[in-house]
Amino acid sequence: MWNRLISIAAAVAAMLAVVPATRGQNAANPGPVPDISGVWQVTKNQPKPFFPNGGAPFKTWGEEKFKAANPETNDPNLGCMPEGVPRFMFVPLPMEIFQVPTRVVIIREGTQVMRQIYMNRKHRDDLYPTYSGDSIGKWEGGTLVVDTIGFNDKTWLDSGGLPHSEALHVVERIRRVDHDTLVDDVTIEDPMAYTKPFSAQQLYKLKPAWEIQELVCNENNKYTYQGK
Amino acid sequence: MRNNLRVFLVTAVLLLLSFGGATYAHHATASFDMTSSSTVKGTVTGFDWTNPHAYIYLDVKDAKGAIEKWSVEMGTIGMLARAGWKRDTVKPGDEITVTGNRARDGKPFLRLIKLVFANGQELTQSVQ
Repeated sequence: MWNRLISIAAAVAAMLAVVPATRGQNAANPGPVPDISGVWQVTKNQPKPFFPNGGAPFKTWGEEKFKAANPETNDPNLGCMPEGVPRFMFVPLPMEIFQVPTRVVIIREGTQVMRQIYMNRKHRDDLYPTYSGDSIGKWEGGTLVVDTIGFNDKTWLDSGGLPHSEALHVVERIRRVDHDTLVDDVTIEDPMAYTKPFSAQQLYKLKPAWEIQELVCNENNKYTYQGK
Repeated sequence: MRNNLRVFLVTAVLLLLSFGGATYAHHATASFDMTSSSTVKGTVTGFDWTNPHAYIYLDVKDAKGAIEKWSVEMGTIGMLARAGWKRDTVKPGDEITVTGNRARDGKPFLRLIKLVFANGQELTQSVQ
């Protein structure tokens, strides 16, 4: 009896794992789409995901900004400012992905609470610079390809202080490599700060038992942000 | 049969719990000496159950009996809660021993690695 119940439960779990939860997320493709929803936590904290040992392909503008960056005094995070993109994806706190027909929405514990990826349009032509930029997404097979532009230059790419300009262009390829593992391949292009594009990969593990908790960063922040 | 189910459930729970979490700091850890640890023993005077960090404040007596005011920094309360902490886990008057990474500027300030209560109970920030 118990064995049969376990078998049935396992079969149902296997079916749930492969049934796409959301439909019609691409305006041009109303069919079923992959399911990447759930609470995810980075598998390891990578303070410097792009160039952990240095050697970023700076242009002069980027190198001067990098030399002025000091994680102890002017990291925007010290002032509870938004992480921006892609640093939002590297924060070692959980994030939850929601999929609705027109958008993929990511909420997270952290100083920046939300990110929206529009699945039903091109980049707006009336963009002004923002911390999150303008993210549009499309599915390529099982991969969510996210294209983001429209940034201000007030965030760092990572907690090591890699700078970027308003010309930043971020492309992400987000996919589930197995039921419990999500991968985000992040490619950076910023012709004002860097001589060539570069990439990094972040892995996440599914946390089915976790819920996103409130995190009010300015509640008791004892660190001083000396930037502007 | 029931035992089989129990083993299956326990295994499933252990699998779910087996992904460790990273400790979050909203600032760089550069201000702490991450290569060595220090241990202090003292009496709790306060506990901030707050974000982006929780803090324990304690009075530590030196060899001459003079009191030094120490503070200990933890991560966010969301991650502490996942590690088993509660807002009244630490109370004023508690005698505790704290091991942590000391501030590099020499101030009496630690980044918590381990907390040990007078009864021997231990707490870390590790999320299982």
